[in-house]
Amino acid sequence: MRPAIEPGDWLLIDPTTASWPRRGSVVVFREPDSDVLAIKRVAATPGDRVPYADGYLILGADEAWLLSDAPDAELMAAGLGEPVDSRRYGPVPVELLVGRAWFRYAPFGRVGRIASRGD
Amino acid sequence: MSRLTRWFAPSTVVRAHCDLPCGVYDPEQARIEAESCYKIIDKYNASDDATFRERAIGIKEERAELVKHHLDVLWHDYFKPEHLEKVPNLHELFWNASKQASKVKASTDIADAKKLLDQIDEIDAAWKATGGAEKTRVAGRPG
Repeated sequence: MRPAIEPGDWLLIDPTTASWPRRGSVVVFREPDSDVLAIKRVAATPGDRVPYADGYLILGADEAWLLSDAPDAELMAAGLGEPVDSRRYGPVPVELLVGRAWFRYAPFGRVGRIASRGD
Repeated sequence: MSRLTRWFAPSTVVRAHCDLPCGVYDPEQARIEAESCYKIIDKYNASDDATFRERAIGIKEERAELVKHHLDVLWHDYFKPEHLEKVPNLHELFWNASKQASKVKASTDIADAKKLLDQIDEIDAAWKATGGAEKTRVAGRPG
């Protein structure tokens, strides 16, 4: 999630988030299948249409499309392959949402609000 | 870490891990371990040296476990939902091959090892059908 989130950042998570926050927000959730606690950015919210396979997918009423920030070209150039996000595990249902990451309180030099994309 | 820092430190770690996978997923890893099982069973059956036979059994069990590991990684990390369109029996292929690897782990029947090789070859065909070789093999590697 660089440069928005760096390894070792200390974050405040709003656990009262009951529905998917707006597009561009950074969220903590449990990955489908693996149950790993992960952090990604909301790329599309319920009802949105997202590119999938050779066509499109309409997200359900409780589903979001979560993507990592790393650009594909950069990952491929580094030989890292495709990122682990909705392109791998598909739409994420809202019951797996843990909360919205909204503030970084450490390290000291990086303290501040977690910017949404488009801010 | 001071007591104050510990007090404020997060209690939970979350992962982004988007930059972690190397992106190299190849059935050949499982195939080579399965070939080891095949050869070990062959040598086991040709030997009457008790010590050699005991070692062969131990090593075969390790190799069979590695087959299962490599199949799991390929199944979970390389294959994605959209691949089911091209390979509708994908889950069955992996299920059967993993079961067969467990069988080979306990077996000294060369036919069991041969069956496992055939099943991995079917997975290899599925991997190639979904563009696995082009996506994951480093340029210049022979196919």
